Amino acid sequence: MLSTDLRDNVLVVRVEEKRIDASKAPAFKDEMTRCIDAGQNQIVLDMSQVDFIDSSGLGALVSCLKRLGPRGSLAVAGATGAVSRLFTLTRMDRVFALHPNVDTAVEQLSA
Amino acid sequence: MVSSISLSIDSDLDKVSLLARAVRALCQDLLSSDDQDAVELSLVEAINNVIKHGYHGERGKDVQVAVGLQADQVVIEVIDHAPPMPAQVLDTASEDRFDFDETDLDGIPEGGMGLALIRMNMDEVEYHSSGSENRLRMVKRVVPLSE
Repeated sequence: MLSTDLRDNVLVVRVEEKRIDASKAPAFKDEMTRCIDAGQNQIVLDMSQVDFIDSSGLGALVSCLKRLGPRGSLAVAGATGAVSRLFTLTRMDRVFALHPNVDTAVEQLSA
Repeated sequence: MVSSISLSIDSDLDKVSLLARAVRALCQDLLSSDDQDAVELSLVEAINNVIKHGYHGERGKDVQVAVGLQADQVVIEVIDHAPPMPAQVLDTASEDRFDFDETDLDGIPEGGMGLALIRMNMDEVEYHSSGSENRLRMVKRVVPLSE
């Protein structure tokens, strides 16, 4: 469900699913955890293909952030519609840096 | 105009999106895109709760959704036959759930957000249990299009 690409020492993780819901959240969390445990600590999550996320998906994202710890960064790129709406509603937009696209997110993290 | 339809799925998390997309499509002519998002999210959260907490993830149990489309509101009922949820769980769910300190990493919530989101996204939310049946009734009011 994820594809990865290393750019300027930032790992760009693209979600290849349209929905991150309770049925997909455990696999999403496992795949992200593998990236984090492999030593990546600057991560941009490209959510431009995602058009729905529920609280289970969001919870999985928070769990990844905790795994990454205070020294790492997890930025979100390309969240629109119902996805960006959930970040705002839950006030998780204070927790995750939201960027309009991958380029600006990578620029920010690699600076 | 009043029309209603009942849909049902087996208690399988893989099937929730099918039902949610069907209900969203039913609301298309009545609700704005933002309100369709609100309804879809609330329905998904409600069904997830039934499957995860009511049926403890066990498959083969029934989850029914009744959708009533009225000129001024959309009424969605999620009906299950799991042990009922304690009433105070819904009463205490609110947007306060998201009033966390973002600088305290460990304190950022990973779960327990579903009912709070339902209450924030729907105009009315009620829960009734009678006999072996539970009903979560959620109402979204139709906002008339401005001329």
